[in-house]
Amino acid sequence: MSGRHATVPGEVARLPELTRFLQDFWTAERLPAAQASAFEVALEEIFVNSVTHGSRGGTRVRVEVSLAVADGGVTMTVEDDGPQFDPLTLPPPDVDCPLEQRPVGGLGIHLVRRMMDTVSYQRVGAHNRLRMTRRIEP
Amino acid sequence: MNVRLETVGKVAVVILEGRLDFATAEGFQKQLELVLAGIGSVPPAVVIDCAALQYISSAGLRVLLVAAKAAQRARIAFCLCSLTAAVRDVLDVSGFSRIVTVYADRGVALAQVPQG
Repeated sequence: MSGRHATVPGEVARLPELTRFLQDFWTAERLPAAQASAFEVALEEIFVNSVTHGSRGGTRVRVEVSLAVADGGVTMTVEDDGPQFDPLTLPPPDVDCPLEQRPVGGLGIHLVRRMMDTVSYQRVGAHNRLRMTRRIEP
Repeated sequence: MNVRLETVGKVAVVILEGRLDFATAEGFQKQLELVLAGIGSVPPAVVIDCAALQYISSAGLRVLLVAAKAAQRARIAFCLCSLTAAVRDVLDVSGFSRIVTVYADRGVALAQVPQG
């Protein structure tokens, strides 16, 4: 088992930096390139969510991302020091609704739930922690 | 993220290159509006060619959804073609590929959409 961490201020402009961090981890661990994008999507959705909800507390949050390879899969943890918020309590969007009635938005967390094998939320002290795992097919 | 326009007959083909994420979505929306405004006449169809689109997130889907709705209101046919595996996954999971027509490649799209 191996792991890595990156910490950035909660500004959406830092997203490319986090994506590079994930891609570097992927390369260093020699993971199959085609399976990186699900994690890139999950990282973006959760990071943007942390920044958006975190800024409601009036101060800028810090976001820490941890990646590890374990048990035939990758575990990604995204932690922020913003006000308590569990995005998994958001109602799922109606993905079958016709185009003209489709609300613009509400899809991010749905994508994360569908693209990861497991997603869990924990409030740990003053931090929100989302932990995601997905199996890597050899 | 780069957006280019080609016209095939009267049909507008919009070619997307790069990553359509939270960081690039807003700029993409402006580029798309500019590109489509530059055509002059209203095209019968807009084909979004995604062969060089490597990545999309919900922020990118929102822009495509806004564009699809605008096209529908203007009675312009709107479709996507040539999805990469990563983009296809996101479109399938979001349900987007069930509400917007997706063609295998540009040739198939151009053969199917209204020409004028």
